[in-house]
Parts: sequence; C-alpha cells; structure tokens
Amino acid sequence: MARSSPKLMSTAVSQAKEVPPHPGPFMIQILGKPFVALGRGSLILASSIGRWGALTAEMIRALRHVDVWFRLLVPQMARVGVDSVPIALFIALFTGIVLALQASYTFTGAIPLYFVGVLVGKTMMLELGPVLTGLALSGRVGANIAAELGTMRVTEQVDALETLAYPPVAYLVVPRVLAAVIMFPVVTALAIGTGILAGWATSIQLLDMSSAEFISGLTLFFLPFDVTFAMIKATSFGFMVASIGCFFGFHTQGGAEGVGHATTRAVVVSSMVILVLDAFWAVVLL
Amino acid sequence: MAIRICDLHKSFGSKVVLDGFSVEAREGETLVILGGSGSGKSVALKHVVGLLTPDSGQVEVDGEVVSELGREALYRLRRKVGYVFQFAALFDSMTLADNVAMGLRRQSNLTGEDIEERVAECLRLVDLDGYGPRSPAELSGGQRKRAGIARAIATRPQYLLYDEPTTGLDPVTRAMIDGLILRMSSELGVTGIVITHDMDSAFRVADRFAMLYDGRCRFSGTPDEIRETDDPVVRGFIEGRPELMESEK
Repeated sequence: MARSSPKLMSTAVSQAKEVPPHPGPFMIQILGKPFVALGRGSLILASSIGRWGALTAEMIRALRHVDVWFRLLVPQMARVGVDSVPIALFIALFTGIVLALQASYTFTGAIPLYFVGVLVGKTMMLELGPVLTGLALSGRVGANIAAELGTMRVTEQVDALETLAYPPVAYLVVPRVLAAVIMFPVVTALAIGTGILAGWATSIQLLDMSSAEFISGLTLFFLPFDVTFAMIKATSFGFMVASIGCFFGFHTQGGAEGVGHATTRAVVVSSMVILVLDAFWAVVLL
Repeated sequence: MAIRICDLHKSFGSKVVLDGFSVEAREGETLVILGGSGSGKSVALKHVVGLLTPDSGQVEVDGEVVSELGREALYRLRRKVGYVFQFAALFDSMTLADNVAMGLRRQSNLTGEDIEERVAECLRLVDLDGYGPRSPAELSGGQRKRAGIARAIATRPQYLLYDEPTTGLDPVTRAMIDGLILRMSSELGVTGIVITHDMDSAFRVADRFAMLYDGRCRFSGTPDEIRETDDPVVRGFIEGRPELMESEK
C-alpha cells in the first residue's frame, strides 16, 4: 500500500484546522465554563473546610500541652480583648445614638416614645452589639492573627518552633483561639452596654424623654435569654474569627504577597462566616 | 550516634527534588553537603528533624527512623538536634535572650537561674554578650545568624544542622562562624551537617564532603579527595567553572 506523501498529509492537517468546531462540543465549552468554575470553587471550598476542620481537631488535641499555651493566654487575651475595646466601644457609641434617633423618627405619633428603649435594648443585645463587634474584631483580630502567623510561616519561625520541640498548634493557635473565645463575649458585653448608654443619653438629651421612660422601655420586653443569646453569638464569632485567622496564617505560602492574600482572605471569610452564623443562631435559638 | 540519610526521594508536585539521595554523618564529624541553589540541600536537611516527610527512603538519627516516630518521640529527638536556619528564623516578637531561652524552657530540669546563665553563656560564645534585651529587628544580618547559632546550641545538642550559615556575610563574620562550627565539633563533640555553597567556608569546617546533584549524592569523600576528584561536575562546582558542569549535561 502506497504511503501518503508529507505534502498531502500537511494539506489534510491544514484542512482539518479550517473545519469549524462541532456545534455540540463548542456550546458545551461555552456554557460549561461557569459549571467548571463552580466545580473548581466547590472543590477548593470543600478542601479548605476539611483543612480547617483538621486544624481545629489538632487544636483540640493540643489543649493537653497546658505548659506550652497557658502562659501565653493572658497576653493574648490582652491583645485580642483589651486592645480591641476602644474600636468596639466607638462603634457601639454611634450605633446607640443612631438607633435612638431612628427609633424616635419611626415611632413619631404612632407608638409611645418609651419604645425607643425597647428598640435600642433589643437591637443592641440581639443583633447589632454582637454582629458589629464581631465584624470590627474580624478586621482587627482576624487580620492581625493571619498576618502574624503568615509572616512566621514564610520566615520559617514556625519550623523553628518545631525544631525547638514546641508543638506549633499548641503554641500559636490554642492561646489565640481561647483568648478570642473568652474575650469576644466580654468586649461584646461592653459594646452592648455602651450602645444602650448612648441610646439613653441621646433619648434624654435630644428626644425629650425622661430616664424613667427609657428604662421602662428597656425593661419592658427584656428577657434574660437575650443576654445568653448575645453571649452565645459572641463566643461563636470569637472562635470562628480566631480559628479562621490561624487557618489562613498557618497555610500561608510565598512571601509578602502570600501574607497579604492570607490576611485579606481571613477578614473576608470570617466576616462572611459571622453573618452566616448570625442567621444560623437566629433560626436555631429564636 | 550518626545521621544516616538512605535513598531519600521527595517531590513537590511534578518537581523531583530528591531522587535517591543517600549520605551519612558519622559521630563527631562535620559533614558539608554541597550543591547549587535549589538543588534540594535544605529539603534534605529538613527531613533530618522531621519538618518534611519523605516520599520514600528514610532518615535515621541514632538508629531511629525519623518518619516512623510518633509526635512525642519526635519532640524528644528534636531536643538532641540543633537547627541553624538560613535566615536565622528568630522570633521577632521576643528579645534575643528569650529567643535563646526558648529551647531551654522546654527542658523541665532547668531553673530560671540556670536558663539565664545558659543564655548569657551562649550569647558570649557567639560574641553577642549584652545583646540579650535587644529585639531581632535591631540586629545586623551577621548578628542574627550568630543569634540563630546561639539558640541552636543553647540546649547543648548532640547534632547541629547548619543551613547556609555563612551565606551573605562579610569575610570576618564568616570566619567567626566557621570558628564556632569548628569549636562545636572539637570542644563539644557535636556531629554537624553544614549545607553551603560557600567553598572557602566549606573547606575550613569540613571533615567530609558530599555533593548533591540532580537529587542524588554525586560525590562523597574527604577534603583531599574532593580537591583531587576528576568528576567534572564536582570540579566545576568547587572551582566555579560552569563550563565543566555543562559538558556533563
């Protein structure tokens, strides 16, 4: 059988190239792109959740190294909690003022003015106190943790800890997460108190209300569970913000750019998780 | 009492870094591992303390296979090994004294006074006497390297691993660090592995050489043997003649 000449073959190839793509696969390629991206995104998400879960499990195991993490707990509580108080109170102060003014604007003529106290108290306790404090601290604490651990990772300080026989999770993750779990509720409680005080001051100074009216509104629908609800939310936000910051910091790759990415991701993801958890607790507990 | 690296394989994704690397550091000697940048020297060294897990092959320290050790056994082994990082890897949130004391605080038999004394002694040994209260950010590159050595020797380890201890330093500081490596070996009997591509320093400190090339041990021998070798790759490397190495490819 005669073999095809190279020239013939090259012509055949060039002709084959000119044939337009089959409409079926072409359409699949175009329409399939979003699905491919969705699939890839889902895989990355599932893998990240898995690795975060593994770090959390490792953290629980590392709790037994009390000698390693205990002396670091108080300094971390100061950094996570005490240092975060000014920003949390600043946000709560203005939130309380705005809440009181907006409540009075909404209620004018229709609802007794002492309901301003109801709205300020309930909103600060159930929603804005925990959520705004959580979001503010996710930026401050989550970013700080991710940047610090990320820098330690890329400058081999985490490896150095290992070579000095320190379990890195016990040394770096446990005190930060515990500090956040303990201090987020404290800072949130202070923020709630500040917001309510700001609402009270606004009411008596600007809204022609008496303290007695505001307080009667504040206590009208108050349930002790409101405080429990706020503290549950704050505790869960603290855990998530710190553990997500540690997760992204711990898995940082590359140099300064990697640290930047880790920090941004930590803030974005923990802010999103706070909002998801906020809805979750409302569905489950209210 | 030796470190034995046997048929070590390690890849990162599709990149093969170690492809059957074998070498041994005998008791009391200083083994210098040579190799170009990116040849896998640091990767090999990290396997010795279990910072990396081999794809296949093994590292033995004192007869124990590092990759088979449990967490606690691995920490026990690490207490016997000091690791000097390429860029010192000092904890920048602590003072220099706290950095040096870190390893000591994991040893329950030492009191606070013992630790302070040992820290002062180690800082004196690396000529950083009085630098204890300073933070790493206040130190020069050479001082940071010396501080890294002080931290590694503070626990009086039986083994010391040096990852490019003299790279980027001035000649005087280099000679000083070489002197320290020699003292560790001669006075304390420490078994050392030094990875470097600084040939002057390598010839000063080496009892034996190994060369890592293409993921494998290309050469192993004494300083005299490496000077007289006919292997074009080894000659090209130690004499800084890339054309010899090219001819091999």
